[in-house]
Amino acid sequence: MKFRLWKRFGDVLACAAVAFWLLPVGWIALTSIKPTTEINSVTPVFWGFTPTMEHYSELFSRFEFSRILLNNLLIVPAATLIVVVLATCSAYALARLPLKGADQISLFILSFRFMPGMLVVLPYYLMLQEVRLLDSHLGMILVYVAFGLPFAVWLIRGFLLDIPPELEEAALLDGLGRFEIMWKIVLPLVRPGIAVATIFTFVFTWNEYLFAFALTFDHAVTLPVQLSKMIDAYSVLWGPLSAAVILQLLPMVAVVFFIQKHMVRGLTLGAVK
Amino acid sequence: MGVLLSGLKKRYRDGTDAVHHLDLDIASGEFFSLLGPSGCGKTTTLRMIAGLEEPTAGTIHINGREVTRMDPGDRDVAMVFQSYALYPHMTVRQNLALNLQAQRVARQEIEIRLSEVAHLLGIERLLQKKPGQLSGGQRQRVALGRAIIRRPAVFLMDEPLSNLDLKLREQMRTELKRLHQKLGITTVYVTHDQVEALTLSDRIAVMGAGEVQQVGSPTEVYECPANLFVAQFIGSPGINLLNATPSEGGLSIGPWPLPELQVTPPQREVVIGIRPEDIILSEPKGGTLRGSVELLEPVGSSIFVFVRLEKGEGVAQGNDRVVVGLSARQPIVVGEQVGLILRTERIRVFDPAGPALQASEWSIREHRFA
Repeated sequence: MKFRLWKRFGDVLACAAVAFWLLPVGWIALTSIKPTTEINSVTPVFWGFTPTMEHYSELFSRFEFSRILLNNLLIVPAATLIVVVLATCSAYALARLPLKGADQISLFILSFRFMPGMLVVLPYYLMLQEVRLLDSHLGMILVYVAFGLPFAVWLIRGFLLDIPPELEEAALLDGLGRFEIMWKIVLPLVRPGIAVATIFTFVFTWNEYLFAFALTFDHAVTLPVQLSKMIDAYSVLWGPLSAAVILQLLPMVAVVFFIQKHMVRGLTLGAVK
Repeated sequence: MGVLLSGLKKRYRDGTDAVHHLDLDIASGEFFSLLGPSGCGKTTTLRMIAGLEEPTAGTIHINGREVTRMDPGDRDVAMVFQSYALYPHMTVRQNLALNLQAQRVARQEIEIRLSEVAHLLGIERLLQKKPGQLSGGQRQRVALGRAIIRRPAVFLMDEPLSNLDLKLREQMRTELKRLHQKLGITTVYVTHDQVEALTLSDRIAVMGAGEVQQVGSPTEVYECPANLFVAQFIGSPGINLLNATPSEGGLSIGPWPLPELQVTPPQREVVIGIRPEDIILSEPKGGTLRGSVELLEPVGSSIFVFVRLEKGEGVAQGNDRVVVGLSARQPIVVGEQVGLILRTERIRVFDPAGPALQASEWSIREHRFA
């Protein structure tokens, strides 16, 4: 009885939290389809206006939105893919090889993520300048891989450690090669970890502002940077800005939606004992 | 033929010696157990045969073929893990078939073998389920099936029954024996459970401290333990060990003389081992030893009587008690004074340092009856 009451309370709390997060998003979504006059009205208008797509079309005509969106769609998935592949390999090595101090090494790798981005942005600038990769897609991919890897390695390693080594030994005895074991046994079981790492890396790079702001100027500019250009010294272009925010949000929602089904728990259930 | 281990040694990277020097010749078709306490090197030995650990020295032959440096998958051995190690993301069918697929066995052949094994183990209905949906006993069967379906040269089993509850364990034990009789495949079985080893095995290697202490049939290791370690490890409750010291007219156990026993050289200390079932209770005056009943442990068909020896301090090794096994439910009460008659033809004599005395080193002069 008491337990059920607590559960109810928890449900209410969860709803409140979700509402708290969704409200601003809803407002922005609303703003993005309001005529400019309604946006700027002194008392907020929530209904009764004629929805318009003018801000969206303005985005594409005035702010080169399709080019910028393409930049994001190029840089972010590429960086995410590379991060996840490399992270899985190195996490496997750190989890399985008889390495002295593997725990410490993992923590050390993770500690790179504790670094404030500001600390490395200048070195990155100089490095990219040296190899002529400033304001390039490849340069941004490299930077995001470097910054995204540590956390992904640490995360996936944790998931790998949960897989009993006997499973791989059994597969070895079953005559599977190393590659087959990875493909048929390890990867399916570490899927939730890879899913989490993918989401984290994708969301981080998709929204990343500091590096993009410092290391791109025109050719490889990404969404967050372009968005900031809609706020200038004289005005905030609320209409296009809201529309841009909504468009920036959609791919992330899609990615999370498609990947979250892989984030199932208890995948190794029944493996041992 | 079978499995031949010669001079096998394993030292881990941290310097611990898991296996010192191992020579074993396991015959083809034999059910062979490695029995010993935890940390005795039995699992390491099994893992070396499987190819999961590389020996520091020595060689391994399976059916006459040297496999010492071969990959596990090429050795034609199947292993049943203590934890079963079923692939959790695959159905039972996929679990069973994975090896055959890896060996590129034709699909039709796989189907035939699948139904054979499923029938043999009674798991036909589980084929579409995943390990997480199975009970402990069912998982155990699938793990066995995964080994059997391969028709390997050798089965390796690492405490396969230890995760089951008692009833199920006894049931599976019988089943294992039945399977082995039916399939006749060489089996190396690791266990710390002497009952499993004694009931299942053709031969047992009792291991302790990284070495083989004795190899023999279950009867041999029970009746004629090669040293104190084996004597103590086999049997439940354990063998009684009594310190015998030289005195005038022969050896005596504490204050009680034991003139029947002759050892050479005559003036040496020995340890006498006698199993609980080889001691007979008598009137206090009629026995070789005397004491009072301290504790009774009925176990159904028999009852174990713990007797504290009077004036017997330091006589019995361990806890100064002698355990007597009575087959019938004899009327006996705690506190009763009793005499103990040792069936002298059944005693074993050991050097205090460990090894059993050679037949030439001791003899029993005559039987004394109460």
